[in-house]
Amino acid sequence: MNAVNIEKLIFSWAGQQPTLDIPAWQIKQGETVLLRGPSGSGKSTLLSLLAGINTPQSGHLHLFDTAFSSLSGRQRDRYRADNIGYIFQQFNLLPYLSALDNALLACQFSKKRQQRIAKQGSSAENTAIEMLQRLGLSSEQIQQAAHTLSVGQQQRVAAARALLGAPKLLIADEPTSALDAEHRDTFIQLLLELSSQNNTTVIFVTHDAALSPYFDKHVELNELNQAGAKP
Amino acid sequence: MIRLAIKSLMNRRASVLLTIIAIAVSVTLLLAVERIREQVQSHFANTVSGTDLIIGARTGQTQLLLSSVFHIGNMTNNMSWESFVDISDRPEVSWSIPISLGDSVQGLPVVATTNAYFEHFKYGSKQPLEFSKGRAFAADEEVVLGADAAEKLSKNIGDDIIVAHGSGGISFSEHDEHPLTVTGILQRTGTPVDKAVLVTLHSLEMIHSGEHEHSDHDHHNEAPAESISAALLGLKAKPLALRLQRQINTYDKEPLTALLPGMTLQQLWKTLRVFEQALTAISAMVVLIGLLGMLTIMLASLRERRREMAVLRAVGAGPGTIFGLLLSEALLLTVVGAFSGLLLLYGLQWSLAGVIQSQTGLIFSSSWPSNSEWWRIALVIAAGFVLSLIPAWRAYRQSLADGLTVKI
Repeated sequence: MNAVNIEKLIFSWAGQQPTLDIPAWQIKQGETVLLRGPSGSGKSTLLSLLAGINTPQSGHLHLFDTAFSSLSGRQRDRYRADNIGYIFQQFNLLPYLSALDNALLACQFSKKRQQRIAKQGSSAENTAIEMLQRLGLSSEQIQQAAHTLSVGQQQRVAAARALLGAPKLLIADEPTSALDAEHRDTFIQLLLELSSQNNTTVIFVTHDAALSPYFDKHVELNELNQAGAKP
Repeated sequence: MIRLAIKSLMNRRASVLLTIIAIAVSVTLLLAVERIREQVQSHFANTVSGTDLIIGARTGQTQLLLSSVFHIGNMTNNMSWESFVDISDRPEVSWSIPISLGDSVQGLPVVATTNAYFEHFKYGSKQPLEFSKGRAFAADEEVVLGADAAEKLSKNIGDDIIVAHGSGGISFSEHDEHPLTVTGILQRTGTPVDKAVLVTLHSLEMIHSGEHEHSDHDHHNEAPAESISAALLGLKAKPLALRLQRQINTYDKEPLTALLPGMTLQQLWKTLRVFEQALTAISAMVVLIGLLGMLTIMLASLRERRREMAVLRAVGAGPGTIFGLLLSEALLLTVVGAFSGLLLLYGLQWSLAGVIQSQTGLIFSSSWPSNSEWWRIALVIAAGFVLSLIPAWRAYRQSLADGLTVKI
């Protein structure tokens, strides 16, 4: 089954030339994909379509067996809560919640994630603590308010939040750009390791081609996107 | 979501606390205005609870009422003793209390009257006056003090008092030759009686005429005074009051005014209503300012919180959830503010009860908020809700536009 299936997708912001024009793109379930593109190539736009914030003007965007782009806004929000983990470049956490509460945030918005955890015979909280510890946070840090953590630690909490409750798809938007090389590599390794446990499909956006050895596939957005290519 | 709202508010506790204080103080003010109004009205009504009719020389009804019962203002004219006797002797009159006013002891009003005062005057829920110490006056050299008067003058049974002419705090003509002896002290009533210095009509007459000693003791059985300031009447049947009032108002021997205390009070409140409404309007404005403060703080925080909104969107919160979050934050602030205001009101009432009572005689009941107070609180919360739609809507639009990509 394809995790992502895009056909003849065209998207343009109000009153502008199309930003995205993707004739076809498939990602298989469980694949890890590095998506690279310079800034201004439509990366953010593509991610907002994949996360269901926006919908294309024409064409299809299927996630797994769901015609994602034809769902209502509310349904897409629900689908995102249940099935998509999202990691930002930085500022992933609500500063006033503890690391643990931040990690549990996605589960709070999704019964399905809670059910998946319950099926494995564990509580969301225990699973979150376990995951945070595997990501290298001490038990004190787990209880600390998010804003007291270092950037690297914050990104790990974000990873835990995105992956808790076994979403089918993980979208990471340059999550390592604020990390130094050493932290970056361990972060990616841990992220991919945790993802593979639940057979989560990973779309990892970066401008850093050097990371491609970690991933199954390396895709250049410029090659997918025909929007700028047409005269 | 409420939990999230609370934690988010806790994170901004300094500005949140100030907002709550502003709302609380404004709500206290709004409720206090209403409460004081109600208390003043019931206090006034309590003071004249047993009296059916008040008569005096021709004057304004309000003036007659205020000076005769509340000792506010001066009586310019007196009514003759003959008229008083004539009216008192009418068959529909069950009792009558003559009173003469206009003098003071250290700023406390001197009320010259007869023993009928202690017998017939009723206050509150038709309670009679009672003595905490001693007895009523039996002779012209004797004086009875209200509870506050005894305290303020620090006099006890057997002490002497000198009554001065004139009602000002400072008296220019003191009559040292007329010392009176305290024979009784009244129990506290919470009415102007507490402040009164009660003497016999004849003793006041002597002070005014400069009579010495009791040279004309024989006159006593005739008239104790040539004229009096006013008289309080009790009737055998209340419905007779209106007819008697008309008859007295058209009394042919001298121009008189008769009033029904309850009715005149109502008229008084009616004339004061504009003032009350102005006070209520001002306190409502203060509440609005408090709520606008909340609005300002919430709108200002939206820009800083765009990241927060994007994170919530990323974990699956719809724009509707963001709207709800902002709405519940504002509602929480308003509700907490309004109820803190209510608590503050009770706190103030409790801590200031003594001072208020001794200064004004007003006794505030610490009963549950009345229906109209609940209405006011509900209105404040409703207003807060309506205003909070603005930041909620802004956040909604913002989170739709930003989605997951916030560019600051």
